[in-house]
Amino acid sequence: MQVKTYPSSLKALFFILLSINLLTLTLPGKASALDGTKILLQVDRNLNPETYEMYRKLINIEPDGTKKEFVLYSVKKGQDKMVALFLSPASEKGRSTLRLDDNMWLYIPNVGKPIRITSLQSVVGGVFNNSDILRLDYSAEYDVANITEEGDLYLLELKAKTNTIAYDVLKMQVDKKALVPTTIDCFAASGMLIKTLYYKEPKDFGNGIVRPSVLETDSPLYKGYKSAMVYAKITPKELADEVFSLNYLSRVDELR
Amino acid sequence: MAIKARKNIYYLVRLLLWVGLLLPFSGHAEDYSFNLDEFEKKNFSWGGYAELKWDHNWINQSGTFGLLGFHDNPRAKLDRLTSTVQLDGNYNKGIVDFNWLLQASAQKDQVDAEQNLDVFFAYASIKPAPSVTFELGKKTYKWGKGYAWAPVSFIDRPKDPNNPEDALEGYIGIGVDLIKSLPGTLKTLALTGVLLPVFEDVNDDFGVKNHMNLAVKLYFLYRDTDIDFIFLTGDSRSTRYGFDFSKNLATNFEIHGEIAYIPEQKVKTLNSSGSLENREIAVTSYLLGLRYLTANDITTILEFYHNDAGYSEAEMGQFFQLVSDADTLYNSTDDDSLFQQAATISKSGYAKPQVGRNYIYTKVAQKEPFDLLYFTPGITTIINLDDKSYSLSPEIVYTGFTNWELRLRYTQISGDRYTEHGEKLNESKLELRGRYYF
Repeated sequence: MQVKTYPSSLKALFFILLSINLLTLTLPGKASALDGTKILLQVDRNLNPETYEMYRKLINIEPDGTKKEFVLYSVKKGQDKMVALFLSPASEKGRSTLRLDDNMWLYIPNVGKPIRITSLQSVVGGVFNNSDILRLDYSAEYDVANITEEGDLYLLELKAKTNTIAYDVLKMQVDKKALVPTTIDCFAASGMLIKTLYYKEPKDFGNGIVRPSVLETDSPLYKGYKSAMVYAKITPKELADEVFSLNYLSRVDELR
Repeated sequence: MAIKARKNIYYLVRLLLWVGLLLPFSGHAEDYSFNLDEFEKKNFSWGGYAELKWDHNWINQSGTFGLLGFHDNPRAKLDRLTSTVQLDGNYNKGIVDFNWLLQASAQKDQVDAEQNLDVFFAYASIKPAPSVTFELGKKTYKWGKGYAWAPVSFIDRPKDPNNPEDALEGYIGIGVDLIKSLPGTLKTLALTGVLLPVFEDVNDDFGVKNHMNLAVKLYFLYRDTDIDFIFLTGDSRSTRYGFDFSKNLATNFEIHGEIAYIPEQKVKTLNSSGSLENREIAVTSYLLGLRYLTANDITTILEFYHNDAGYSEAEMGQFFQLVSDADTLYNSTDDDSLFQQAATISKSGYAKPQVGRNYIYTKVAQKEPFDLLYFTPGITTIINLDDKSYSLSPEIVYTGFTNWELRLRYTQISGDRYTEHGEKLNESKLELRGRYYF
C-alpha cells in the first residue's frame, strides 16, 4: 500500500481551510441570517399576496365560553398599507381602521371623523390588539436575529425594527415544508410574554394561496380568554394608493 | 346483589361525571364556520339604532337657569323619558353613492313634550377615481382633532362635550375631495373644498343670509404626523384660519392639538344696564390633548381648551345678577318682564354649554376591570379653570348582549354661587340609556 505524504505547508493550509469551513457551519453568521430573511419573506408571501382583499371573522371567546363575533373586510397594499372595515355586528358596522406604517386611525360613522389609535389598543376587545388586526408583513416590521432548526420546524427569532412596533421580539416556529408559521410567541421589550399565536387548519384559498385558515391566540395577561381569526376569502386585488388615506376611510365599503 | 348493584350505579355515576366534565373539552376544535354569502355586497344597505333614555334631574332651584326655567312653577325634580330612532343607509349605483342619516326623537317630562325629525345628512357622492370625489347635499364634516371640543371645526355645529361621540346635524353644500399618496416622508396630501350657501331655508342658522361661503382644508400626513390647515371665508361668518395636528408618540400614547384664529369675531355681552352689547374682537381658540393607554387597559383622554370668545367671570356674573334681580322683582311684584329679558339674552350665548374661557376635560375608562366581562366603567370631568366649578360624571357601560349597549351615568354639577356650574339648571342627574343596534 502506497501512502501519499503531503508537505507540511500544504497540511497547514488544509487545516486552516477545514477550520474556516467548520466555523461557518457552527456560528450563526451572516450567511444563516440571510437564509432566515429569505425564509421570512417566503412566509409572508405564503400567508398572503402583497396586495389583496380579504374577508375574515374575529371571534372572542370568554372564560365562560360565550362568544362575540366580528366580520371584517380588509384590503392591503405593499408593505405598509392596510384598511379593515367592520361588516358585523350591527353595533360595529361601518367602523373602519387604517394603518399606514406605524400610524393607525379608527373611523366611527357616528363620530364622523377618524381618530388616531395606538397599536396596543384593541378596537374589538379580546386578546387581539390593533396591530394584530391590521398586521403588515412580518418582514416589514422585523429583522431575523437568529434561525435554528428543530425537526420539521425552523425556529426564527425576530427583532422589531423600531420601538414603535407592538411586540419587541417574536419567536416564530415555521413549518419547513409549507413555509408558514405554526406558532408565534410575542414578547415585550422587558422579555414578558404578551401572547401566543397559533396558525391552524391549512386551506386552499385559490390563486395559489395555501395557508392556515385559522389564527388562534391566548395570553397570560388574559387568563381564560381566547380569540381567533377565521379567514374565508383571500384574493389578489389591484388598489390605488389613495384608498389608504384618512379622506377615504368613510368609503371603504365601496371597494367591495 | 345489592352491593353489586350499588357498585354498578357508583361506576355509572362516575362515568357520567367524567363524560360530563370532559364534554366541554372533547370538542377541542372550536366551531369556526363562516358563511360569507350573508356578507355579500348589496346595492342598498341600511342600519341604525333604537334608544330609550330615562333621566332624573335634581333641579338647582336657586341657580340662574333653575330660576329662569321654573320661576313660575318651582320644582325640585324632573323626570324625562326620551325615545330615539336613528336610521342610516346607502344606495350605490356605479360611481354614484347616496348616503343618509335620519333621526326621529320624542321627549316627555312633567312640564313639556317635544318631537323632532331631523335629516342629519343626505348627500350624493360621485367618484370618477379613488383620488377624486364630488359631494352634493347635506353633510357633517367634523374637522379638527379635539375629542370634547373642536375650535377649527368651522362648518359644523358645536359638539356636546358630555356626549362627544353623538351624531350631529350637517349643512348643505357642494364639496370636492382630492387625495394624493406619495412615497417618502410626506405620505399623503389631500385637499377638501366646500361651497356653503346660506339663504332662506338653506343653512339659515349658519350665519348672515344671501351669501356663498368657501371652506378649505389641506391635509398632510408628514413624518407620521397628521397636519391640517383650514380656512373659511364668506360673508355669512367672518373669515377664520385653523391649524391642527395629531401624532402617536408611542404604541400607547397619542397627542393632538388645534388652534383657530378669527381676526374679526362678533361677540355679544351683557352690559351693566342690562342690554346686549355687540363688539368685534380678534379671537384665538386652542386645544391641546392626549390619549394614553396603560398596561391594564385604562384609557385616559385629557384636553385643555382655551376660548378667547368665551365669557369672563365678570361677564357671566352680569348675567347671573340680571336673573337674580329678575327673581327679586318677580317675588315682590309678580312682574316677570326681567325674566323674559333674561331669557332672550340667554339665547345669545349664555345658555350654551361651556361658555367660559378655560377648561380641562378628562375622561378615564377601563375595559372589563376585575374580570367583569363587558363592563366598562369610566369617569368624565369638565372643569372651568377660571371659576373652579365642575361637573363630574361616573358611568358604567355594559355591552354583554350582542348589539345592545346599556349605560348608567350619574352627573354631579358643583360650584359656588355665580360660577358657571354653580348656576346650571341641574345640581345632579341620573341617566339610564338602552340602545339597540340593527
